[in-house]
Amino acid sequence: MIADLVTIDAWVLAPVLAPALGALLVLVLDVLAPKARGSHLPLSLIALGAGLGALPYAVTADSPARTLCLPAPQGRCLYEVEPWGLGLQLIILAGALIVLLMLGPGTRQLDDVQRGGPAVTVSLVLAATAGAAMLPATRDLPTWLVAIELATLPAIALVALSRGRGAEGGALSLLMVSLTSFALLAIGIALWVLATGDATFSADTVRAAVEDTDRHRVLLLSILFLLAGVGFKLSAVPFHTWTPQAFAVADEAISAYLATVSKAAALGGAIVLLSPLVVLTGAGSDDGFSIRLVIGVLALASMTLGNLVALRAEDPLRLLAWSTIAQAGWVLAPLAMLTSISVAAATGYLLVYAVGSLAVFAVAAAVHSGAEGAGERRLTAYAGLARRAPLLALVLGLGLLTLAGLPPAVVGVVAKVVALGPVVDAGLWWLVGAMIVNIVLGIAVYLRWLLVVIRPADPEAGLTRLRLDPGLRVAIALAGLAVVLLSVAPGLVFGLVR
Amino acid sequence: MGLILIALLLPGLVGATLILLSHRVGSRTAVGVALLATLGALTATVAAVATHARIDRPWAGEIGLGWIFESDMISAPLLVLTAGISVLVVLHGLRHAPTGGTPGLYYGLLLLIEFGALSTFWTRDLIVFFIAFEIVLVPMWVLIHRFGDDHDPAARRAAALRFVLYTALGSSIMLAGILAIVTQVGSSDMRAILAAPPQHSQMLIATLLVLGLGVKVPLWPVHSWLPPAHTIAPTAGSVLLAAILLKMGTYGLIRVPLTLTPDGFARIAPLLATLGVVGIIWGGLICLVERDLKRLIAYSSVAHMGFVALALGTNSELGLRAALIANLAHGVISALLFFVVGSLKERWGSVDLAVVRPALRETWPGLGFAVMVGLAASLGLPGLAGFWGEFLAIAAAWNPAGGGTALAVAQSQVSGGSWVVWAAEGAVSTELAFRGLAIVAALGAVLAAAYSLRVAKVIWMGDAAPRDRAGDLSWVELVIVAALILAILALGLFPYAVLPSPSGPAVLS
Repeated sequence: MIADLVTIDAWVLAPVLAPALGALLVLVLDVLAPKARGSHLPLSLIALGAGLGALPYAVTADSPARTLCLPAPQGRCLYEVEPWGLGLQLIILAGALIVLLMLGPGTRQLDDVQRGGPAVTVSLVLAATAGAAMLPATRDLPTWLVAIELATLPAIALVALSRGRGAEGGALSLLMVSLTSFALLAIGIALWVLATGDATFSADTVRAAVEDTDRHRVLLLSILFLLAGVGFKLSAVPFHTWTPQAFAVADEAISAYLATVSKAAALGGAIVLLSPLVVLTGAGSDDGFSIRLVIGVLALASMTLGNLVALRAEDPLRLLAWSTIAQAGWVLAPLAMLTSISVAAATGYLLVYAVGSLAVFAVAAAVHSGAEGAGERRLTAYAGLARRAPLLALVLGLGLLTLAGLPPAVVGVVAKVVALGPVVDAGLWWLVGAMIVNIVLGIAVYLRWLLVVIRPADPEAGLTRLRLDPGLRVAIALAGLAVVLLSVAPGLVFGLVR
Repeated sequence: MGLILIALLLPGLVGATLILLSHRVGSRTAVGVALLATLGALTATVAAVATHARIDRPWAGEIGLGWIFESDMISAPLLVLTAGISVLVVLHGLRHAPTGGTPGLYYGLLLLIEFGALSTFWTRDLIVFFIAFEIVLVPMWVLIHRFGDDHDPAARRAAALRFVLYTALGSSIMLAGILAIVTQVGSSDMRAILAAPPQHSQMLIATLLVLGLGVKVPLWPVHSWLPPAHTIAPTAGSVLLAAILLKMGTYGLIRVPLTLTPDGFARIAPLLATLGVVGIIWGGLICLVERDLKRLIAYSSVAHMGFVALALGTNSELGLRAALIANLAHGVISALLFFVVGSLKERWGSVDLAVVRPALRETWPGLGFAVMVGLAASLGLPGLAGFWGEFLAIAAAWNPAGGGTALAVAQSQVSGGSWVVWAAEGAVSTELAFRGLAIVAALGAVLAAAYSLRVAKVIWMGDAAPRDRAGDLSWVELVIVAALILAILALGLFPYAVLPSPSGPAVLS
């Protein structure tokens, strides 16, 4: 019966279905066998692994891989995975996997940082991941909105459940921001439907709307609202204020989730929104110019403010929070050019940023859990890390250099090159200038941290050996290996997304 | 192809391994391994250059990057210089053990810097050129930060950071120029760009490239990172900075803006020449009054690189030759001077010229001789390496249009023989201005003589009574100094050995 209405290809949907099913199974298992605390992690890893394992299917299928297609006359597919969407799904699933390894559900480590027990934490992570993986593939407005909220609300719950001081406050601010963003998105969607008479992101209806003066104005207004709503999720200036608050109260793993998986989902949402607008940006179009200007200014403000504040941060997570704001600017800058190459550039940059961030967050979790008096986080806790734990320092250094864009983390350099390319091509020299200045600012931010790492250890400071949870070890090893592998073969990541 | 891989991977991999295992490796092992690696790299480099080895295969083909490595008469001397100086720098560590970190880290950093410089000179892919350009940054930062002058940690940190941020700013500006070329042409292969140079906004691109590379050269007024970095860095770091890293800037100027955006470069060349001359005078005047000998030599580097900029700014074939030889000469002369001054600093504790010390010629005649050769070469004494570059630079500025265009030589090297005839329309419309620059540059050469003689008077003649005659050149220092003095003599007596073949008929037509 349903098959008459829409086509369903479960393999294409697997990256979304697997984590969603996993979340459900974890909850059911918790009801049936409340004592089986050790089984949640393997179950969730299997779910994410299944999602990752299904990704090659979308590569071998026709590009874009489609499903949920309506019958012939309209023939529109509501689920499409283009190469950039595939790249985002990859980092979303892989990022969630590393975050789960960092959390180590079933061990004492998790109970130290999260309330609610392993089943709740795991199912929240999986549910948010399902929403995040859904977002880049959506092609209609209602599903798009649902996916955004599905990706966001469990993440807020994760912040609220963390044991950090002021977690409720942080979660509350995140919730308020989310609700505002939801309101903006809802208004934007209503205006979109009003302007185009269509609830899908379709270039054809957008083109029709542009030709009518009144509908054109409504469409522009709608784009403004939607961009603002997505800006919250991306933590771009001026919608960034929740980021440092949430990072300061949540622990490293949850912050890593917000910084990588949530951001990848947000970028997916932004690209889905902007893709039909490419028709608006033809030569001599004022609209293209205005949209470029708006996104370009957001990018400039994000990277500059983020880097400047990060320069003064003493708490490593606060530093990372401002750095993630700055990196949001780097993702937005190429995206503003609204071409297929710039979409690939933004996606490729985000992938590299996420890998580098995961490496840094994983090492930060290790250092924080091993530090004396684990309440306070300071950069000085990293003094002499290069001597105390050379491998940790190596992974941290590679991660920081990836974010800074300096060799030996070649992939970070290539990412900067790729992000700058479309902007230079479009001839937006003011933005190019700002990006150049921000390369230097960014280097100053990350080298400041690295400086502490290579500083000779204070002889009195704790030379205790760090005891690491096995899951955390695996997470650090995976992230470090990913940076090394991609530095040798950067084509892997940038070839994937175009 | 195998030879290039050996020459690149030997320092790269050995350096990375030494750093990773730096806590397990002893001092003797580290220096031994590093010495073998640099010697192997030197052998492989010479062999690769001699046999015209080349590599051409895709690397990250998805984004159009290629591993294209090839040497020509412009890069070959610099490749050999880099590999040779690296051997000497490691050798220097045999007697003067690094302080501030483990030996494994120290030698690993030196090797990584060699790796970065060799890749920069070898590659023919613009984006890879940029990446290679950046490789040296972090190792040099750590080298200055950890192993630099330990008198003042705050100054050390500041100098290291200033070096990184300044040069990263420069290379980022260069990247914008490179991307402007690559996005217009649709390829980052230098040969493809040469075949179809960018059509639009060459002036803007050339300006970005010259500005960005100018930081590394360093060109006045963006030179201010250099004196603190040179002064604070350990001897090996100063030598690498002066002899190799600065050359990456001038090499880039020849390889990228001059060759790939000739029209744009021709228009801003007079500005480049003017900045070069300002640098000559600026550096020379500071050298007249500077008290710290290491800093003085750093400022003299600004002056010498000013001559290279002037030569390039004439945009003539003679100027290009002058730039190439001056570049190389400065490489060996500054290496000699920094080695010797490092040795003096080690013995005296400081190299403050205001302190009255016994005459070098009486206490340590070997060191004294080395200083005198370095200073004589630096002031441009005929017969030594420094003469040709400065003489030809002034000659080229005096008659800028003479002797064909620089572009013909540079492009012939890239395209492997097919001449690209380029009309120097309006390249140098202001012959008179260039004559003025030539005169001022000649005055700068006089300044060089004045400050060199001042230094010679203070440290070679000396005033205090001689005390301890022991402690002249150790055998390691003797080997290093002898090798560099031989190179200075060779360059001075047979400059045409390293210049692009003068017999090419098209060059002189």
